[in-house]
Amino acid sequence: MYTPTPRPPYSSSYSIHLVSAFIALINLGYITPPVSAQINVWPKPRSLSWPTPQAVRISPAFAINDVNSCPNLSTAVKRYQTLVRSEKHRPLVTPALNISDSAPLLQTLTVLVADPGSPLQHGVDESYTLRIPAANRGTGANLTAKTVWGAMRGLETFSQLVWAWGGGDRPLLLLVASGLEVWDAPLFPHRGLLLDTSRNYYPIADILRTIEGMSANKLNVFHWHITDSQSFPLLLPSEPDLALKGSYGPDMMYSAADIHRIVRFGLDHGVRVLPEIDTPGHTGSWAVAYPEIVACANMFWWPAGSDWADRLASEPGTGHLNPLIPKTYEILRKIFSDMANLFPEQFYHAGADEIIPGCWKVDPTINKFLSDGGTLNQVLEKFINSTFPDLVSLNRTVVYWEDVLLNPDVNVSPTILPPDHTILQTWNNGPNSTKRVVSLGYPVIVSSADYYYLDCGHGDFVGNDSQYDLPPGSDPRNGGSWCGPFKTWQTIYNYDITYGLNEEESKLVLGGEVALWSEQADPTVLDARVWPRTSALAETLWSGNRDEKGMKRYAEATDRLNEWRHRMVNRGIKAEPIQPLWCIRNPGMCNTVHPI
Amino acid sequence: MYTPTPRPPYSSSYSIHLVSAFITLIGLGYLTHPVSAQINVWPKPRSLSWPTPQAISLSPAFAINDANSCPNLSTAVNRYQTLVRSEKHRPLLTPALNISDSAPLLQTLTVLVADPGSPLQHGVDESYTLRIPAANRGTGANLTAKTVWGAMRGLETFSQLVWAWGGGDRPLLLLVASGLEVWDAPLFPHRGLLLDTSRNYYPIADILRTIEAMSANKLNVFHWHITDSQSFPLLLPSEPDLALKGSYGPGMMYSPADIHRVVRFGLDRGVRVLPEIDTPGHTGSWAAAYPEIVACANMFWWPAGSEWADRLASEPGTGHLNPLIPKTYEILRKIFSDMANLFPEQFYHAGADEVIPGCWKVDPTISKFLSDGGTLNQVLEKFINSTFPDLVSLNRTVVYWEDVLLDPNVNVSPTILPPDHTILQTWNNGPNNTMIVRISGHCSDPGNGGSWCGPFKTWQTIYNYDITYGLNDKESKLVLGGEVALWSEQADPTVLDARVWPRTSALAETLWSGNRDEKGMKRYAEATDRLNEWRHRMVSRGIKAEPIQPLWCIRNPGICNTVHPFE
Repeated sequence: MYTPTPRPPYSSSYSIHLVSAFIALINLGYITPPVSAQINVWPKPRSLSWPTPQAVRISPAFAINDVNSCPNLSTAVKRYQTLVRSEKHRPLVTPALNISDSAPLLQTLTVLVADPGSPLQHGVDESYTLRIPAANRGTGANLTAKTVWGAMRGLETFSQLVWAWGGGDRPLLLLVASGLEVWDAPLFPHRGLLLDTSRNYYPIADILRTIEGMSANKLNVFHWHITDSQSFPLLLPSEPDLALKGSYGPDMMYSAADIHRIVRFGLDHGVRVLPEIDTPGHTGSWAVAYPEIVACANMFWWPAGSDWADRLASEPGTGHLNPLIPKTYEILRKIFSDMANLFPEQFYHAGADEIIPGCWKVDPTINKFLSDGGTLNQVLEKFINSTFPDLVSLNRTVVYWEDVLLNPDVNVSPTILPPDHTILQTWNNGPNSTKRVVSLGYPVIVSSADYYYLDCGHGDFVGNDSQYDLPPGSDPRNGGSWCGPFKTWQTIYNYDITYGLNEEESKLVLGGEVALWSEQADPTVLDARVWPRTSALAETLWSGNRDEKGMKRYAEATDRLNEWRHRMVNRGIKAEPIQPLWCIRNPGMCNTVHPI
Repeated sequence: MYTPTPRPPYSSSYSIHLVSAFITLIGLGYLTHPVSAQINVWPKPRSLSWPTPQAISLSPAFAINDANSCPNLSTAVNRYQTLVRSEKHRPLLTPALNISDSAPLLQTLTVLVADPGSPLQHGVDESYTLRIPAANRGTGANLTAKTVWGAMRGLETFSQLVWAWGGGDRPLLLLVASGLEVWDAPLFPHRGLLLDTSRNYYPIADILRTIEAMSANKLNVFHWHITDSQSFPLLLPSEPDLALKGSYGPGMMYSPADIHRVVRFGLDRGVRVLPEIDTPGHTGSWAAAYPEIVACANMFWWPAGSEWADRLASEPGTGHLNPLIPKTYEILRKIFSDMANLFPEQFYHAGADEVIPGCWKVDPTISKFLSDGGTLNQVLEKFINSTFPDLVSLNRTVVYWEDVLLDPNVNVSPTILPPDHTILQTWNNGPNNTMIVRISGHCSDPGNGGSWCGPFKTWQTIYNYDITYGLNDKESKLVLGGEVALWSEQADPTVLDARVWPRTSALAETLWSGNRDEKGMKRYAEATDRLNEWRHRMVSRGIKAEPIQPLWCIRNPGICNTVHPFE
């Protein structure tokens, strides 16, 4: 047996050895859970039993045996076999583990799935059990799962337990944590990321890389906010003009083949692709192809001299579908049919956020309806009643933004949206909207802007904005961001999405999604805006944000997230750093022990 | 003559034509400067006379003639000749300009420098005049400048006046704005970016790319905050142990050859490399090599149960040089000498920010000095008096952070820092402290919730800040300029470009030609469209600058503005 000492960063005199660092911290009255320079898995598994932390070497011929040979799983098995052999990951702090050099090498990981036909859909079982034998107790690890999707989660866990050691003058060893058993399963079935590809366009490669990063974080829903008022990049087989005329250009569209590729890539990674075609608001871009069905299209969003209440949109980019025109539904039915063909996902996001009275009011047809005694709520109800049944008949559960019920200006009655086919996604007022929605009996997906909006805290994007020209000393408020300040990874990590709910209500919380709206984002900043903050969401929704004693575990999560961010960067995701390297090399030294 | 219509983004029915957009906006009571879909230069030149906006084609054999053949300038000339020929830049909005297809092509740009020997240093003349003849008025453009550094600014301007048009079924044309004359010169001589390479390390390639972009923005000072408590990446010939033991590792050091490369790269681009070795605070990393000269090194920064006033550092990473130990100065003198050899720049930044009483107090030597009746101010004074003269004798003007005079807890008297060899860099209390001292600084950290300097500084915040706010004319003359700063606690190469650009472009224009139009009104509204185009060009040139608006806003100029003043 030999014990590799932690590899000094360069000179052993500079590197504060972990043990001595602990002593120094204790002397200063610094108390924290012991920092284990071990190998970690992100998100932290629900249960990891590792009575004697140790590692064994991985055979150069290491193979993952896929007993079932299911299509999506076998792709994942091949991918992880390549990753495990080639990644040669170097943790920032080398795990201090006993390694047996006499023990036989780990030769195989055998994957066994009980119900290989279970499709990737909401609520599918994602649990798995992973056993890696202790030194001299075997040469094969075992991964068992009920479904291929659970098996993929277990493969990811295995890959994160592997690292490289040695090299240079010494032989390079691939090591894997051994003598352990992981049982794991998510707390919430819906764990997602929303990406807006309308305000700015993202090439397919960026979307695939993002889905890959999601899978590595055990996230399972890519909520694709495909279209909006700014551009319509989705080239639909039955309605190609929407994109041909409404996209940003010929290189900035998603073809049916692109969609197939993304959906299939998601399947191979256990990530559902949940499409959103936002309606009836956020549809200015539709007007290029069909000006007759869009009210207030491409007008100036907030005319001079008018009150905020009379704006045409809440940001530049106006246009709402006109619910009073039959052609609107002719087109929508073709879209729904195309969408059902393109996206196997059983959830369909129909939007319905931010209906702005001023937009519908400027439309002559709607204006006449209103002056004849009709109401805006009736206009919206007409829209919902003319679209919701079509979506249900396509076997879809319809997701709407909370606005459809909760918007104080324009909303519909819950009676027209049966909760068994409807899910609401909350984004306003933190936990309050969630509470209201579950009180009405609806399942909910939480995206509270105060916690989960990744674009916030970055100023406002409108031009000619005099708020940035205030005299020095003026209150900077939130720096002009309506949802500022910036949501740090800790803000996301600590948010309890069932806050204030009783047990019964909590069961209606399907999960959460962080959201990257793209007014100030595009491929140049995608990775850094999304990661590692979305990793914080991933752990909170997978295994929670509390330790065994029920205490929030953000302190110990910091070191683990540093390591995980480092690993993501090596895997090609340009996640932003959360601390100086010095903090990672000196665990605990960058903490605070002073509560706010 | 033919007029190319603006290339539709894709379908002409989707693209709102500029003219119709104006009518729509005016119909809504929207009034703003007319948006010119012309070619723009960032930072906007001080004076651009273009009586009849037009463009001519560049010859495939277009050449820049360097009449002087000075070393740094000829490198720049070669670089710009390649750039002009190869960039083939496509503006987001195609300039709507008359192009003469019968006029002779532009064959040359001739560069003439009056005083080619003038070195790159603070206050050097950066003015230039660029003339590009109108169609049929000649085939040669002229760039005249007093110095090679001004000529470099003019070359950049020329490069930004060039774009590509056509292609596909049509011939690809390189066009350049013509019939114009630019006279240009900066408002402030010191226009910089600070990069902290201690909290996290940046490879040389990242630094060079940043300097290249600075040059494109006509910035002229790369303030390199090389070392700090977290790491000491600078491999000094006389004191190699500081980096060998105090850097993050063998792949994370800057060798003398690296420094030469960075300095030379800066010279070729008119960017001074101003080094900072922060002392006496921010020196924890020195203790790996010399524990005996560093007080409170690598202790826990803010011990439990202690008041903020008794902290050892204002952030994790403790350590102050001990001014009462002779060895401290032995090492510093070797460092100063190395630094003077490595960096030709005449400004030397000695730091002196954030001297924290708690750190010095835990050191036995200093503690004894204090209990014998000495003061912390005396300790700092001893340090300044033992280092400042050495730096002055090396012909350096010493830059300190404002703290050295203004820190309420530990400071020295202005009498020991003669203003003719001292510059102060302000960072606290907005314009208030500039009233007292010279170079000005911003806090441009990412504005996290919980950030001491939040919120996020938008490009507009940076653009609109008047660094001479509240100063009279005479005081304003003491403001040399400004620097934006990227401290790297939460930054490293993964996010460098997007954190720095295009916000640093906002600084660049404000300090070059100001943030006001001819009428004295703040010009942030019209700057938005120009900055969108400039950001696009920077991205095409390999700088991953962050977007400031949806592409839709750029395609529909003015439509993403607000016409409601902030209340």
